[in-house]
Amino acid sequence: MNQIPVSQAFLSGLTLYAAAGLVGLIGARQRNLVRIVACAFSALGAVLEGVASFAVIRDAHETIISIPSGTFFLPYTFRLDPLSCYFNLALAVVGLAISIYSFGYLKSFDSKKPVGVFCFFYSLLLISLTAVFTAANAVLFLIAWELMALAAYFLVSFDHEKDETRRAGILFFIMSHAGTGALLVAFLLLGTWAGSFDFSAFHLASQTLTTMQRGSLFLLFFLGFGVKAGMIPVHVWLPAAHPAAPSNVSALMSAILIKTGIYGILRIAFDFLGIPPLWWGLVVLAAGTVSAVLGVLYALIEPDLKRMLAYSTIENAGIILMTLGGAMVFRSYDRPVLAAIALAACLFHIFNHAVFKSLLFLSAGAVVHATETRNMERMGGLIRRMPLTALCFLVGAISISGLPPLNGFVSEWLSYQALLGGFGSTLSLTRIVFPIAGSLLALTGALAAACFVRAFGIGFLALPRSSQATQAHETHPSMLAGMGALAALCIALGLGATLWLPILDPLVVQLVNTKVSGSLVLAGSLVLSSGSPKGGTVAPAALAGLLVLLTLLPGLLLAFWRRRRRTVSGPTWDCGLPGLTEDNEYTATAFSKPLRMIFAAFYQPRREIQTEFEVSAYYPTSIRFESGVEPAFETHLYTPLKDRILTRAGRLRTIQAGSIHAYLTYIFITLVVLLLFGVRS
Amino acid sequence: MSFVHDPQFGDRMITLMAALVLVLQIAMVGQRWLITNIRMFALQSFLLAAIAGTIAFFNHSNHIYIAAALTFVVKTLVLPILLERIVARVGIQQEIEPLINVPLSVLISGGLTLVGYIVAESFYHPEETSASAALGHNTLAIAIALFLIGFFMMLNRRKALTQVLGLLSMENGLFLAAISLTYGMPLVVEIGIFFDVLVAVMVLGILVYRIGETFDSMDVSKLRRLRG
Repeated sequence: MNQIPVSQAFLSGLTLYAAAGLVGLIGARQRNLVRIVACAFSALGAVLEGVASFAVIRDAHETIISIPSGTFFLPYTFRLDPLSCYFNLALAVVGLAISIYSFGYLKSFDSKKPVGVFCFFYSLLLISLTAVFTAANAVLFLIAWELMALAAYFLVSFDHEKDETRRAGILFFIMSHAGTGALLVAFLLLGTWAGSFDFSAFHLASQTLTTMQRGSLFLLFFLGFGVKAGMIPVHVWLPAAHPAAPSNVSALMSAILIKTGIYGILRIAFDFLGIPPLWWGLVVLAAGTVSAVLGVLYALIEPDLKRMLAYSTIENAGIILMTLGGAMVFRSYDRPVLAAIALAACLFHIFNHAVFKSLLFLSAGAVVHATETRNMERMGGLIRRMPLTALCFLVGAISISGLPPLNGFVSEWLSYQALLGGFGSTLSLTRIVFPIAGSLLALTGALAAACFVRAFGIGFLALPRSSQATQAHETHPSMLAGMGALAALCIALGLGATLWLPILDPLVVQLVNTKVSGSLVLAGSLVLSSGSPKGGTVAPAALAGLLVLLTLLPGLLLAFWRRRRRTVSGPTWDCGLPGLTEDNEYTATAFSKPLRMIFAAFYQPRREIQTEFEVSAYYPTSIRFESGVEPAFETHLYTPLKDRILTRAGRLRTIQAGSIHAYLTYIFITLVVLLLFGVRS
Repeated sequence: MSFVHDPQFGDRMITLMAALVLVLQIAMVGQRWLITNIRMFALQSFLLAAIAGTIAFFNHSNHIYIAAALTFVVKTLVLPILLERIVARVGIQQEIEPLINVPLSVLISGGLTLVGYIVAESFYHPEETSASAALGHNTLAIAIALFLIGFFMMLNRRKALTQVLGLLSMENGLFLAAISLTYGMPLVVEIGIFFDVLVAVMVLGILVYRIGETFDSMDVSKLRRLRG
């Protein structure tokens, strides 16, 4: 195979990202030129990054790039190992599609909006994400991590005229910083114990740490990375920030920014801290299960299309954490093959989620732009008005629901197999954990399918529910191209899963030192097996063929039938009341009502009906109906916490009198006391 | 005129002038008129320039002449003129209203001078009997006292402009400490500091003007209203 100059490609990719950002800053006036050039540069940069990353994974060859810097404790060292490059590859693929999409999407911005500034922060986000994935030094990592949070903050608050958006931005900022606080403490501790801030030193130091030290480090890291990963209960920023951001940003955040947390957990659990004790894996598994189930339950009742997708991101992060936790448990039980399978499921789902979630957010962006609302109760009928967007959304929805033959199915199937495999292969009480997690995963999958049936059915089918939806048009071709590429990738990753899995080999070997493709891919790379004789096998391509056959068969029969008989087309049956309008349609709230009743204990739904009448209650003049669910985490966790912090801060406020004289007096007294103290000792 | 070249004589001159600087500082605390205050500051700065010039003369270090000249130009001429113009432009009352009454303020200044001597004591090594060590001892004490009294002036006064004066005399204390201990810092540092002071006064001048406009007064205690 030809040799690809990895470091050159990597660095020129970064340079192109930076150039895109600079173009945005310099040419703020020429809106169109900036948009075209910046999007082209970031797309090209993404191509180069993708090529470099793919080359590293394919050759399983580690590349270290060092850029000399003036400061001794901060070498700009990037390490391109398969794990870093896998995430960077996902970033490059998604980044390429989003850059193509942005080309058209940015055109729709209001003429007052600073497109150049947007391009700058977008490029900054791409650069910092790349740096987070490839940094080989804790200081550089933290700098990139903070840059990423800042760039994301500015992008989230891009529509800062809206009160809701500013609030979302600040919430993201606070949560992100709370997480970074934990990370900072963890990295400083680890750096002190290891005697260096280099990642390779961390790896070596893990043998010398005590159990207490490793445990506390793990908890700090897990909390810090969990905030970014969208893990429940530190997920609250996600459903606020994702809908508030412009859709291309929400796509990038949901697909990749969330994964920085997962990357961090993978890095510490499998690289820095050595063989994990059993409880680490169980903690991760439990957090993942809770996130998956609760995330999808919230998604199910959410009428806001983008917020629903944000909750679904929490759910998918949960699924990823479940398999990650499973892999950690297997590793502590010394079951390398099972750990490898769980890891393969985890890594595959990471990539898949990046692809289909960005696809869904991008198509949601197209829909929101066309209908000027995020509320799906005001969409409807879009399949006729924007058929290609609807098709893209449908592909994403099928994929995220884990239906065959698309990519979501393959990775969720692998996740089930890995979790169920745990039951037969581990000892003692722990084994009961796996069937429970597996069945909750099954529940999650089913609820996710219901959730996306609802989203597609209410949003795209039937009659338009608002005048904007009636006037919706198909979107810009470049937006369609971006979405189309991702949709094609969803299909390709589903059908070609058996060809894709060997690519995960270098990663899995790096993490648990066992190959996975040999035991998972059978029969000339057509059949996917669960890796144990008792488990099942599946052939995605054959399934797809079967599905195509099954849909073709009735079609053929119908065509045959039609030739014989005359067909008459008429309106939908209207129960004898002529003239069906959008008021007769099934609503999103109604669709999720049965599930809201089943899970009433969790939702704690509240409902308020006020009827006003003049003569009799049977002839109301107006009815007001309001329903909602209890935001459990906000009311029971965050509001008390916030109140407590505010009371404490209020007490401190008395010394902050607002008077310059008081402040000067504080400084003066401190100065004199310190001077005298210094003299005494 | 042989005594002119005697280093002993130079040291005495410096100590004398430093003492005068301190006296002026305490007089500023006791002084009630703003314009007089500004002129006293000019005089104090002139004495500082003279100290710098004397040190330069007896140590034959030419670059301190530049520092002395800069002090003279910036602090004795430019800043007082600038400040007087602000006073004229804002049209504030001429009388300073200290928070603590004058006798007590002077007493506190005396106490702060004592603190200066106590602190400087720890830097004094009696075994070093050379003249420069003794000079360092005395002027360092005065410099610290200047600094502390300047600070006290800042927190004792209501008007933003008089606080600027306090800040400037604090800076004078720092200058005295620097020049008497090291016999002149590198010129770059000196110029940097002068530039800093100049910029600070300009910024403060604008701020004073703004405060006056916004609150119809220069009383900084009214800034309290900005608190959320």
